[in-house]
Amino acid sequence: MEPRDPTTILRRLLGPADPEVGCDTCFAELDRFVDLELAGEDADATIPGLRAHLDGCPACREEHESLLALASERPSSL
Amino acid sequence: MSTVTLGGVEAGAPEAAVPTRLPLLDEGSRAWLRDLRADGPAREEALARLHALLVRAARFEVARRRVTLTYLRGDELDDIALEAADDALMSVLRRLDDFRGQSRFSTWVYKFALLEAAVKLRKRAWQGREIPLETATWEVFASTRLSPVDEVEQGALLDAVREEIATTLTPHQRRVLLSLAVDGVPIDLLAERLGSNRGALYKTLHDARRKLRASLAERGLELPKET
Repeated sequence: MEPRDPTTILRRLLGPADPEVGCDTCFAELDRFVDLELAGEDADATIPGLRAHLDGCPACREEHESLLALASERPSSL
Repeated sequence: MSTVTLGGVEAGAPEAAVPTRLPLLDEGSRAWLRDLRADGPAREEALARLHALLVRAARFEVARRRVTLTYLRGDELDDIALEAADDALMSVLRRLDDFRGQSRFSTWVYKFALLEAAVKLRKRAWQGREIPLETATWEVFASTRLSPVDEVEQGALLDAVREEIATTLTPHQRRVLLSLAVDGVPIDLLAERLGSNRGALYKTLHDARRKLRASLAERGLELPKET
């Protein structure tokens, strides 16, 4: 078992409280979500449930972090 | 060579469908699509440029994770990046008609290479490691002793969670939940071992979490919004 404090274990066991999309929708929308974020638009309102999914799914969260970092290396324009 | 698929089962949680917006393609995106659908030298040149973009993204992912893969040589890591880029190229070409111009074309293609590279690297990081058996995980988890401070703050909730995991979840839900949330097994690796896929496994995880939350709420336990 990974060494984790109780708060972390509970967070991982119970997941996000808010409604969330699944992994497929997350992947389908991830590029739009990231470009909206980089453009300073309200990505959470435009694509509801994706942020909650990122909170609950470590794999999708890592891929979001990577895409955001990579896409931000260039000027953002939609 | 095998490309990653996330699967066809959604967590199905959002109350509203994701709104769609279909903007006109920007000039750069139109040029990409035109050249990739062309014949002859224009297509070959576009394929080479696309592959270069994918290699860039895959190497970016390798670079982000290399601190956790110190036992792999640089050329091994680059082989993984190139293989990921090749697999991503196949995925992109297969799904070219899915691109609707809702992001920059480069952002759209990057995500395929990042996914392929991340999945391969997670598998390499766990190569040779056994996925813990549910019983072993459960015994450790169930007997975890809390510090006095944690006992006061979280003890009742954690005890209730342990009980509900043991009594409310199906064996499959319990195994998936403990592997992913407690052991930290990468979801793609567990999916492969169970003959499943990321989407289906996350649906199982989502259902287990929802069941747990409902059971805890029935007990009158207050769950912080950000537990």
